[in-house]
Amino acid sequence: MTIDGLAYLGTSRFGYELDAEALVKGLERERISGAIAAPMHRVDHDFDRANEHVAQAAAGSGGRLVPMARVDPWDGDQALRQLNRAVVELGARGLFLHPAEEYFRINDARVQPLARRAAELGIPIVVATGYQGFSEPVQITQFARACPEVPVILTNGGQFNISGLSQTDAGLALNLDNVYVHTSGVYRDDWIALVVSTFGAERILFASAAPIMDVRYELKRVELAHVPDEAKALMLSGNATRLFGLGGELA
Amino acid sequence: MIIDMHMHIDDIPALGWKMSAAQCIERMDEAGVDAAAVMTIADLPGINPKALELIAEACGQYPGRLYGFIRLHPWYREQSLELLDRAVNESGFKGLKLHPVSSLAHPSGEDTIALIRRAGALGIPTLFHCGDEPMTTPLSIEPAAAACPDSVIILGHMGGYFHVDEAIEVAERHPNIVLETSATPYPAKIREAVERIGAERVIFGSDGPVSSPVLERDKVMIAGLTPEATDLVLGHNAAKLLGVTA
Repeated sequence: MTIDGLAYLGTSRFGYELDAEALVKGLERERISGAIAAPMHRVDHDFDRANEHVAQAAAGSGGRLVPMARVDPWDGDQALRQLNRAVVELGARGLFLHPAEEYFRINDARVQPLARRAAELGIPIVVATGYQGFSEPVQITQFARACPEVPVILTNGGQFNISGLSQTDAGLALNLDNVYVHTSGVYRDDWIALVVSTFGAERILFASAAPIMDVRYELKRVELAHVPDEAKALMLSGNATRLFGLGGELA
Repeated sequence: MIIDMHMHIDDIPALGWKMSAAQCIERMDEAGVDAAAVMTIADLPGINPKALELIAEACGQYPGRLYGFIRLHPWYREQSLELLDRAVNESGFKGLKLHPVSSLAHPSGEDTIALIRRAGALGIPTLFHCGDEPMTTPLSIEPAAAACPDSVIILGHMGGYFHVDEAIEVAERHPNIVLETSATPYPAKIREAVERIGAERVIFGSDGPVSSPVLERDKVMIAGLTPEATDLVLGHNAAKLLGVTA
């Protein structure tokens, strides 16, 4: 079984789009059981509707998609209400935060109420990582340290620099037990091996970040990684199952 | 023939990079790569005084498989020009590598331009690290391409994560620019580059051995190019640039 730890659904104001049908087709083509799906930032900035849209897509996906909530911390109490509703009424299994697209600093104290609510709801937080000034790995370290009971999952291996200049900082983040990283876009396969050998195979998850990245290519990144088979199994499905509390879903 | 135009040999503990010629060959074999351009990850002179010898020795160990690119620091202008001449004329190096993040030398600076022009006069390409950091983006490198029309300039990583569209645009404006595919995670952008600037100006690189040449080669395959374009990107263009038989 393979689970894609992050795909985006909808039409983004930032110029990319993916609908549920295309996503599911892409998953089937690569024999991926399903995906954790997060909403895109809609043109109208309506995260309630965005969360509904993804929940509906998941409900109609034949068990292929599991929804994740997305909110904007600048919306304050409304964001808290939206998160509650997405989880309690719409079945979201995680909170997705994109500091660069919603223009906030992940370690801003104003984000912490969302982390506390995620803790109460028992869901992990996925953070779009590596955007300078918004979600640098050391900034996320500060954020994750303040909510030790919440799993915080960093996209892109915890850094997003083509010289690997933030790799050491990503390692500092991984020193916290509640920090995990996605494999999406990680160009150094020795980094994937290093995360497994240093921090443990349970700390890294396959994610495609489709449609920004390519499902087939991102899956190959994991399949070709120089790590033991047991580690690969955890990366491909075990960790997502555990972190997102998936029971029979996506099986 | 598959040629990887971007591999590294060096030992820099502070950066977590330790790569030998044997490791490069091992990973090339894993990917069915016939030959590769190899370079250090720190600059000569300055912090890497033995770089020329290190690369020359590696290429000597694996003739026909490894081709040297000399990585130089533009600030040491006269010394670097002399080293470039020596590397090409005496040690058979096939390219110049410049990395503005490590040197802090702007691509359009006079010292850098002098090196690029000398590389062009020597008949070798200049490979730039071209990613998302200041001084390495396609638009930062573009003035150098304009100032050195007789020199081939390769944009390594073709703009990295966030500057790939700009890399293609800059390549459209300057026929002396070639895009190199390593590390950037977008197979579809390789196809777009081929469609917009021609398959003759896109080349395969892996940034190995710490990146996977197999994975990077597969990225070119996933791009969905025609068989002819795939052959050009994976090896024929590089063979021409290196002056070796494909």
